[in-house]
Amino acid sequence: MTFQELVSRVGGTVVVDNPDAEIGFAYASDLLSDVMGHCGDESVLITIQNHLNAIAVCTLAGIEAVVICHSRPVPDDMKDAAEREGVGIVTTPLSQFAASVALSDLKPSSR
Amino acid sequence: MFAIITVMRFDLHIHSCLSPCASLEMSPSEIARRAAEAGVDGIAITDHQSARNAPAVAECARRAGIACLFGLEVQTAEEVHTLAIFDTVERALAMTDWVYEAMPRRVNDPETFGDQPVVTADDDIVEMEWRILAMGCRRSIPETSAKVRELGGLYIAAHIDRPNFSVIGSLGAIPSAPDGSPYFDAVELSRTADESVWAPRAEGYAATRSSDAHNLDDVALVWTEADCEFSVAGLKAAFAAKATRLSPRITSFVR
Repeated sequence: MTFQELVSRVGGTVVVDNPDAEIGFAYASDLLSDVMGHCGDESVLITIQNHLNAIAVCTLAGIEAVVICHSRPVPDDMKDAAEREGVGIVTTPLSQFAASVALSDLKPSSR
Repeated sequence: MFAIITVMRFDLHIHSCLSPCASLEMSPSEIARRAAEAGVDGIAITDHQSARNAPAVAECARRAGIACLFGLEVQTAEEVHTLAIFDTVERALAMTDWVYEAMPRRVNDPETFGDQPVVTADDDIVEMEWRILAMGCRRSIPETSAKVRELGGLYIAAHIDRPNFSVIGSLGAIPSAPDGSPYFDAVELSRTADESVWAPRAEGYAATRSSDAHNLDDVALVWTEADCEFSVAGLKAAFAAKATRLSPRITSFVR
């Protein structure tokens, strides 16, 4: 799935673009330690963690994009880090469950 | 007869250069100097998951002539930030060992999270901490609270007004034990929190306000006052009596 397709599936707003991302897997979690322990690469992370550390975890795990649920605002330091690290960010009014359903074509991410 | 009342003004939440997200200018010597200039009587250095700069902090606070307590900001299994604060370097380091036992065994990437230097009182680097201090440990709030009590420390719920990494943000409320006894001795409001909004949400806990400084300009920018000795026992008594006074909040970026 392309980043553009992901954005349209969740009815989202692009905060940081990642046009070249190829996304095959998805993981939904709000505990970053859990994400780091279980989420693999080529993934999208579905979460409400609108925090700089979420991008650091994406970098470590090889996560291509983050879907921030409930339209939580993305702070500038998180946005800057995502641009620097090449991680896409999209915000959506959907909940984590609703966003997961919208992306149910993707395979469960694991490592 | 006159009772001697000592007014203590303190900042209990300051990060040193050991915290990956803190500025490298935050050496213990600079922090102690800056805190003394800012007019606080006491400070606690609380780095993420570690008190390994506590020995340097003790020496620097002595040189600067300010009181000092030793702590760490434990990021619990619930991904809640909590302050564990002790009277001695030894106890803070014992707490650190206990937290380290439950940390991921992954090595920090300074490019991703930041550098984590352990330093001396003279700003020399002893070593770079290899653990990822930006990540949570596997200790829960109840376990951490019990360990802090065993080691004779203070346990404070950090920045309860913030949406991320706070008890209210992560758990929806301030948790207490099944028998109703509190896990925390006090709660912390961040520098921008409106006391009239957040003190009532502290559900009967004493409120503190601390800077959570990550750079020198922010050290002791806000503070808490109490009429007590600056020690775990003194603060514990002031918290139990809810006898704390908070500095005004910061409402803009203009200082």
